[in-house]
Amino acid sequence: MSELTPQNPGLDGERLELRYDERYPPVIDGQSLQILPGKITALIGANGSGKSTLLKALARQLQPESGRVILDGHDIATLAPRRLAQKLGILFQEHIAPGDLTVEELIYHGRYPHRGLFESLTPEDHAAVEDALRMSGLEAIRHRPMNQLSGGQRQLAWIAMALAQSPAYLLLDEPTTFLDPAHQFDVMDLILRLNRERGKTIVLVVHDLNLAARYADYLFALHSGRIVAFGPPARVLTVDILREVFEVETEIVRDHGERGFFCIPISRARPK
Amino acid sequence: MTNVKPIVLRKGRGSMRLLIAASLTIVLIAAIAQTAAGSYNMSWREAWNALTDAGVWRHPAVLLRFLLGEAFARAHGFAEMQPLDTTTLIVWNVRLPRVLTALMVGINLAFSGSIFQAVTRNELASPYLLGVSSGAGLAILVVLVLYPALGPLIPLAAMAGGTLAFLIVYAIAWNRGTSPVRLVLGGVIVGAIAGSLQTGIFFLARDISVMQNALAWTVGSLTGADWRQVRMILPWTIITVVLGLSASRNLDVLLLGEANARALGMAVERNRFLLAAVAIMAAGSSVAVAGLVGFVGLIVPHVVRSLVGSAHRRLLVGCLFAGPALMTSADAFARLIASPVQIPVGIVTGLLGGVFFLYLMRQRREIGKP
Repeated sequence: MSELTPQNPGLDGERLELRYDERYPPVIDGQSLQILPGKITALIGANGSGKSTLLKALARQLQPESGRVILDGHDIATLAPRRLAQKLGILFQEHIAPGDLTVEELIYHGRYPHRGLFESLTPEDHAAVEDALRMSGLEAIRHRPMNQLSGGQRQLAWIAMALAQSPAYLLLDEPTTFLDPAHQFDVMDLILRLNRERGKTIVLVVHDLNLAARYADYLFALHSGRIVAFGPPARVLTVDILREVFEVETEIVRDHGERGFFCIPISRARPK
Repeated sequence: MTNVKPIVLRKGRGSMRLLIAASLTIVLIAAIAQTAAGSYNMSWREAWNALTDAGVWRHPAVLLRFLLGEAFARAHGFAEMQPLDTTTLIVWNVRLPRVLTALMVGINLAFSGSIFQAVTRNELASPYLLGVSSGAGLAILVVLVLYPALGPLIPLAAMAGGTLAFLIVYAIAWNRGTSPVRLVLGGVIVGAIAGSLQTGIFFLARDISVMQNALAWTVGSLTGADWRQVRMILPWTIITVVLGLSASRNLDVLLLGEANARALGMAVERNRFLLAAVAIMAAGSSVAVAGLVGFVGLIVPHVVRSLVGSAHRRLLVGCLFAGPALMTSADAFARLIASPVQIPVGIVTGLLGGVFFLYLMRQRREIGKP
């Protein structure tokens, strides 16, 4: 049954054990998780809890020590690199690109997995790039070199590149971390529209609990390499879970309308 | 939305056109100077007439006889040699092939440097600084001095030596990834060892002419280059240019970093390995005909990049013209500045390279920072 592609969509990690170095204990210790298709899922946790590591493994950027990742019914270890890149895109926290690369040139690189070595650009490639430019609102500055963009615009350009890749799954590692509040909204609103309008399955690592509360459909809370809670924000963001996950005392404010839901850290939690 | 496009593109195309025009002019001047001047002096007009001699161009057999060699022509029953002017003979037998060799060495080294810079994501990378040239040179000397019978295999020996050197440099520099400085240090180490071994091999040479030949090799020289060198490097130059240009998109994607390249579906290690092989092939074949000509692979990509940008399609096309411009002019300078004594061209490029390196260090203060 595991061979059926369309019937069982989804991105699952099965008993994943992840580590960077054999000399150290695993960063993720035998955890399983299910990413629901068509939803926005956020991974939250303190620094070093293993959330970025888990994200990398889901995108095959890190080979699991044991366990496997199943993408739409296929073990991702068996997928050809281009095939995987057509289905799943991942965006990292920090980027390096030649400064003179223009926004448009960068976005065209998103078409890499769809093109053979000697193939020239097809109408489909152009359409995907135009669509990515439109969605991200970068049309007006498409010919501007990357080193003349603000941090927020640069992040939007990278998301647009991943969008041109036209993957069904888009994984993002702390996409808003270095941005001011206005640009955080730009980026998160783009991510939200990718999910609602294009049906992309989104997995993101976020630090900001309030962003997670506001945008994610589901949360996974990680603490030292283990998933300690899963569910919709209202179920995961509780005083008890946050004390365990972040070791802080928080106050939860729930009376700000439908999306209004705030976690206010009060103090460091006392050790038990 | 499309009205911005032409302006930006025109700028890029404009500087590319300028680069190509300037490079072609330099190559042409250097070529005419090289063909006219020398121990048998002729005017530029005479040199031009010899270069365009109808006696050569109208007779494909004569042209092929030069290109493919006397032995090949005889074996395949080419038409007999037409009687040609002395100037034409001198130009076509001695001076033109040297220019052509310089031209192709320029292309190969510039391509090699560009590819190494992308593959190692290191703007200081070049075949010379990465120790690849030294490794190739050592392999050549071993063949030349110890196994002279293997002469025709020199380009392949050079490539094998270059590959070995590159692997050793990478192993030295590797510490969970490499940094520009560690790679260059690795190159210095391998270069020093290969240099010592090269000098050591001199003492094993029985024949003084072999030793002189070998000495010229270690500095990088085109003295005595003729059609044999052209034939030796031409196929590799063609392969380098074709593979380099067709891989330009992959080189661009590599510049986005290893993780991003992998996320875009590139088999990063395999691509790096294959591209490095192309760069080593290019460097090895130029070392085989010209010896250790330093810094061309560093200077040319930097200059071209500052003019046409870092996208590899444009960068490599620029190198295709700028490489020959640097190499032919440097060789003309080396041959004619102290005439009748000929300086090896490697000394000229070494001087240029030293100054250029200094300029890079002062210009880009972040170079060498860990």
